[in-house]
Amino acid sequence: MNALEIKDLCKTFPGFTLDHLNLTLPAGCILGLVGENGAGKSTTIKLILDMLHKDSGSITILGRDNQDNIRLTKEDVGVVMDEVGIPECLNAKQVGNIMKLTFRNWDSAVYNGYLQSLSIPTDKPFKNFSRGNKMKLGIAIALSHDPKLLLLDEATNGLDPVVRDQVVQMLSEFTRDESHAILISSHIVSDLEKLCDYIAFLHKGKLLLCEEKDVLLGKYGILHGTAAQIAELAPEAVLHKQGSAYGVEALVIRDAVPSGMSLSPVSIEELFVFIIKEAK
Amino acid sequence: MKGLLLKDLYMAVKYFRVYFLLALAVAAASFFVDGNPFYIYYPCFVCGMIPLSLQSYDEKSKWETFCQALPYTKAQVVSGKYIFGLAIQLLVILPIAASQAFRMHQSGTFSWDIYLTMMGSLVAMGFAVSAIPMPFIFRYGVEKGRMAQYLMIAIFCGGLVAASIWFGEALPDVRTFPALPLLVFLAAAGLYALSWYLSIVFYRKREV
Repeated sequence: MNALEIKDLCKTFPGFTLDHLNLTLPAGCILGLVGENGAGKSTTIKLILDMLHKDSGSITILGRDNQDNIRLTKEDVGVVMDEVGIPECLNAKQVGNIMKLTFRNWDSAVYNGYLQSLSIPTDKPFKNFSRGNKMKLGIAIALSHDPKLLLLDEATNGLDPVVRDQVVQMLSEFTRDESHAILISSHIVSDLEKLCDYIAFLHKGKLLLCEEKDVLLGKYGILHGTAAQIAELAPEAVLHKQGSAYGVEALVIRDAVPSGMSLSPVSIEELFVFIIKEAK
Repeated sequence: MKGLLLKDLYMAVKYFRVYFLLALAVAAASFFVDGNPFYIYYPCFVCGMIPLSLQSYDEKSKWETFCQALPYTKAQVVSGKYIFGLAIQLLVILPIAASQAFRMHQSGTFSWDIYLTMMGSLVAMGFAVSAIPMPFIFRYGVEKGRMAQYLMIAIFCGGLVAASIWFGEALPDVRTFPALPLLVFLAAAGLYALSWYLSIVFYRKREV
């Protein structure tokens, strides 16, 4: 079963249109949503949760249409938004008491375990939390009610590298269960590269690409050479090229490049930057 | 919805306990001050504002958005605020009702007509303070909703002044209109129910 299916999703605001978005997230997988600010990542997550009203299209979460008793569906979904909206005067212990009355499957032992393992202060008011601790508390809440699907909007931002690594490991562990899945958006593409099975690039409300990460890394490469060498290649082989004082760097399709030419592997971050530049 | 009520309780205890204690102190003082409506109505007015202020804190802290990711319907979010508002009003009105009944009984001035009219207007006051701006707040957010609240206060105060100027001594005697307390109470309850319903309808349409 797919954890998430988005078909022809459209939403228009003044100055922005999410244009016929199609995404599928199979159970047991992690899909990374990459895009610049304003690309439509948060809008997509809010539409999934029915926080925004879609103009057209359909969204199916864990086999249920998101217009069909979304309250029940949210019992199985853990969410971390880019800003964790906990009232400033509450502490982590009080938040736990509130969530215990909110989620049917809330597990206080699991929650307390996360508070301990992530070193989240239990008696300090939320307003005195660092950005990192705020995000960690959001992640602890999202994971403590036995969710099947996690929706994370810039959830690793603001975390120091050590904690980020810890969170990345927690998320990897979460998807060991084949009924679990994660949709994560982030600017920190290196995190997504570590975590994700699928990568989707969103640019100005349009889906530029959605593919298995390993397929992407195998399909594309970077060719360093002279302008003349690049010009010899078939036009369809070159996705984007940029010149510098040291020569020309081109994103190419490996299969379309004559054998014998030496290609460097491409990272997801490089691929993202090249494709966005090309789209501009 | 229990989680929402607990969250509001935590916040009310943290932010509004001084206001609440002040309201109770003024309500207690109403026992010793004969005939001054300030001591009776002020506590209800203050406590009627608490749900509005809670909503304001929710918006500022982004709880309003976060809450949409939790398994609550928008109707439950709205209803939580109205139920909490009712509970606070009840906590203030009950001691005032008891102390006023005792005071009137002690001074030998107890009259069911006057007592029930007073209680009806007390409930009306408490309900109106939150019932009028709430739908605007749920429709347009706290900033614009506050404007409706200030407008309501201005209309209320202006209405009192106008009534005292126009009617003066000729204000109707409640003893000549025995159904007045019931009508006032029903009007207040109707206003609160209508406000509740409109807030749910407006909030469902709003994208947070």
